[in-house]
Amino acid sequence: MAENDTVGDTGRRKFLIKVTAVAGGAGAAVACLPFISSMNPSADVLAKATTEFDLTGMNPGDMRTVAWQGKPVFILRRTPEQIAAMEASNGGLYPEPDQQRVKQPEWLVVVGVCTHMGCVPNKEGPGWTCHCHGSQYDDSGRVTRGPAPKNLEVPPYRFITADKIVIGEA
Amino acid sequence: MQNKLIKWIDHRFPLTNFVKHELTGYPTPRNLSYWWNFGFLAGFVLVLQVVTGIFLAMHYKPDATLSFDSIQHIMRDVNYGWLLRYMHATGASAFFLVIYIHMARTLYYGSYRAPRELMWWTGQGLLLMLMATAFMGYLLPWGQMSFWGATVITNLFRATPYIGDQVVVWLRGDYTVGDATLTRFFALHYLFPFLIIGGVVVHLVALHTVKSSNPSGIDLAARDNIPFHPYFTSKDFYGLGLFLIVYCSFVFFFPDSMIEPANNIPANPMQTPTHIVPEWYFLPFYAILRSVPNMVGGVAAMGLSVMMFAFMPFLDRSRIPGGASNRPIVRIGFYLFLLNMLVLGYVGATPPTDQIILVGQVATLFYFGSFLLIPFISIAEERWLIKRGLPPEVEALIASEARGKIKLPFRRRSGDIK
Amino acid sequence: MRKFIVILMLYCFNSVVHAEDVRLGNIGVDASLPALERGADLLMNACHNCHSLKYVRYRDLSAFGFDKKKVDGWRGDQPPEAALIGLLADESAVQMFGKVPPDLSLMIKAREGGENYVYSYLIGYYITPEGLLSNHVFPETKMPDVLGVSGVTDPVQRTEIQGKAHDIVSFLAWAADPHQEERHRLGYYVMVYLLVLTALLFAVKNQIWSRLK
Repeated sequence: MAENDTVGDTGRRKFLIKVTAVAGGAGAAVACLPFISSMNPSADVLAKATTEFDLTGMNPGDMRTVAWQGKPVFILRRTPEQIAAMEASNGGLYPEPDQQRVKQPEWLVVVGVCTHMGCVPNKEGPGWTCHCHGSQYDDSGRVTRGPAPKNLEVPPYRFITADKIVIGEA
Repeated sequence: MQNKLIKWIDHRFPLTNFVKHELTGYPTPRNLSYWWNFGFLAGFVLVLQVVTGIFLAMHYKPDATLSFDSIQHIMRDVNYGWLLRYMHATGASAFFLVIYIHMARTLYYGSYRAPRELMWWTGQGLLLMLMATAFMGYLLPWGQMSFWGATVITNLFRATPYIGDQVVVWLRGDYTVGDATLTRFFALHYLFPFLIIGGVVVHLVALHTVKSSNPSGIDLAARDNIPFHPYFTSKDFYGLGLFLIVYCSFVFFFPDSMIEPANNIPANPMQTPTHIVPEWYFLPFYAILRSVPNMVGGVAAMGLSVMMFAFMPFLDRSRIPGGASNRPIVRIGFYLFLLNMLVLGYVGATPPTDQIILVGQVATLFYFGSFLLIPFISIAEERWLIKRGLPPEVEALIASEARGKIKLPFRRRSGDIK
Repeated sequence: MRKFIVILMLYCFNSVVHAEDVRLGNIGVDASLPALERGADLLMNACHNCHSLKYVRYRDLSAFGFDKKKVDGWRGDQPPEAALIGLLADESAVQMFGKVPPDLSLMIKAREGGENYVYSYLIGYYITPEGLLSNHVFPETKMPDVLGVSGVTDPVQRTEIQGKAHDIVSFLAWAADPHQEERHRLGYYVMVYLLVLTALLFAVKNQIWSRLK
């Protein structure tokens, strides 16, 4: 071996190598960002971030499912009895007043994805039942039984007109 | 803690040993010039192509009705999709540039000579796989040039004896290049890089068996060597910096210079563009194809022209070390050969007129002639050089080689060299 | 590759490029927002009746910073996600012109000579001695002289039409490569970084190799 192992690195040498290693490493790390970013939703997917829904034609007690960002959103027109029952209770396992979960008491808008493992619950009797693992939700989307760790999510939405909502922007 | 872990691994797997022998302590001749940087660069570009390719494949759709649109989706809507695609498209050209320089260095310094024939031949195999990968990748954007390039190249297989037409249909999976062709080309374009990686491993194992060649042409790895790290890691990374400057200036400022305008028009099987040309890295071989008036002959000539390099260990009979650097006639021949490649490249890019065809034919003859004349030139040149008296430094090289314990890299004829 | 040679010729030697025996000057594009908006306006009036830009969506225009009112005007009651699809149905186009007018999204990239070609084409209309309409750059064209350049001899008016063609071409250049500005901006940072890094790597290499002597 021709290398003279006794030649030690002076402090200055070490410094230059360190600076270069840091600069190179930082550059390599930054170069990874476009690759990671390319896996995020593309502009055309982001453009579909909102969904408009026309509420006309829904009678009290009716439920519709609409796709928002590919996920089902339950829109339930609640009867006066349902509203009264929901406002009277504070929910089951994770208490939350009904008023905080609706914009207008007549209309419940929740993301129809079970907060446990992501199955879509079925409308059965009062509220919803998820058949994957048996969670149950009431007519305010609040957990009344089962492994679900959270109440059904309320998506951002607003009424554009009296009978039209846009889901995806508050 | 770290030591304990490494000990635990070393007990089960020769990690420290491997790193010491093959990476940090790998003995490398100290006199390697910057021309020896291009193997490392080729490895870098291979990784770059695989990584950008995998990320592009997450957005690309290999379907004749969707692929052109999906490229535009990548270019316009995918976050930094334009960067990934331009890196990949420019990377293909960069790959060939680096490989061609790597090959030119080997030819100039005679690095293909014993005991490095297997390195040269695995390299030849890698070149063929690279060409196949690049060709199949070029179909994927499904533009006019993609389509007609693939049509012409798959038609080359019509030259297969007896079953030519069936072979072409089999390759395409259709009577013309179509959806079936696109889908299988995508599958193979994704597969081949991994075959190339396997080939590179073989190439590197061979390298680490025979060690690097060097400009002097005699075996220095066992005598005048320095460890690969930190000397050649620092040199390779500096070379990488220079390479990235050139590469990124194309990616960011002239990315479309490597993309034919006609490939921005979706493939139209009913209309051929007025002037179809292959990518620049295929032009010399394409010119050879066009120079032979007979179809089968042209295809054979083109195939042979790529394979000619593999014969170099047999064709070069000279035992003067140092390749062309110590051999004035071969040196002139080397530069004429490069010049001839440029002529062939120009011919390949130009619409064929009578004059151009004639120039191409002369250049084709020169191309094959330069290979076939090497045995005669190399022997005659060696005799002439010895008669004239070798330069003292070459004499010294040969003398030091004779003293070395390593076996001579060539068969010695008695009486030629004292 | 040929385009690269063309670019080299244009930028390094400031020479002219020949296409179909007509001289194409290096017009350069005006990438400023007002020019692009003027170009888009002209295009929506003069070209959009027949030609589509199917890879350009109205939301792309607003996202790039085009005036929201203008975009809404062009868009009408189509959603922002809609592409700039021409008004003329393909069948009627075939009836009128014998072919479907080409999509313009990538027109600048799809022609040898790029923006210079399209510009020279737009202002290349003239009346032949036989009294027929023709085009210097593309004599077989089926497209009418939408900018009305062939009938105008007055230099002032011609200059005005050339300005319009320039704006249209500028917009088309943006439409063909909407990320160009971003690419160049990022490119400058990358180049500066690489120059510094390579200088450092060179210094490190020299230092390490100096240990040998």
